[in-house]
Amino acid sequence: MKNHALNKWLIQRVSAIVLIPLLLFLLYSLVDLVNQDYTGALDFFDSYLSIAIFALFLIFAGTHLKLGLGEIIEDYIQQENMKNILNRIIMLTSAILPLVGIVSLTIIIL
Amino acid sequence: MEKNSSPLSPHLQIYKWQFSSLLSITHRMTGVFNVGGFFLIVLWVLFLATGPEYYNFYQKFLKSLVGKFILVGFTWSFVYHMLNGIRHLAWDFGYGYEIKIANLSGVVVLFLSILTTFFIWII
Repeated sequence: MKNHALNKWLIQRVSAIVLIPLLLFLLYSLVDLVNQDYTGALDFFDSYLSIAIFALFLIFAGTHLKLGLGEIIEDYIQQENMKNILNRIIMLTSAILPLVGIVSLTIIIL
Repeated sequence: MEKNSSPLSPHLQIYKWQFSSLLSITHRMTGVFNVGGFFLIVLWVLFLATGPEYYNFYQKFLKSLVGKFILVGFTWSFVYHMLNGIRHLAWDFGYGYEIKIANLSGVVVLFLSILTTFFIWII
């Protein structure tokens, strides 16, 4: 149990550090992309760097949000039933969002 | 009562409002809020994969006044969470605990988050 909590703590921090450059690159790009039309937006994924950063962001953000939200539940929800339900919702969210993103990304590249 | 033995954090009403606690709760609130921003980003790439009709519809919404407001809001939320996260990482390494320093770094985070959001959108 102790190691489990330590792992969570560590993964939360490591994912946070990894997300810093990814987020800055992405925010900066997306603000420009909002003004691009469909083909202009597709051009963004012509670069391997963009694809890699986007995919990494999806994975690390999913991991980070799962641990972060889990921590909030742990702090404020006492009822076991409610805790289980919320944790399951978090687990699903943290898996589905990156998955949908990766599948979409694959379709775009192919 | 066995099931309710797990200790909880004191609920927010317990605390006296201070600058430091306000920043702390904002960190968590932006963290939860960012899931919505993440959702919008995933939706964007999904619509891009689906084709121009969906994409154009989505883009039209994002470019509207309401859409812009939402996007700027999420940008600030992401940037604040990132900057205050760096503050937390410094604490994890044992730096910046003195009250003066902690308050100062809080002001810096707040100021930089607004400035960065401004620069991302204007430049």
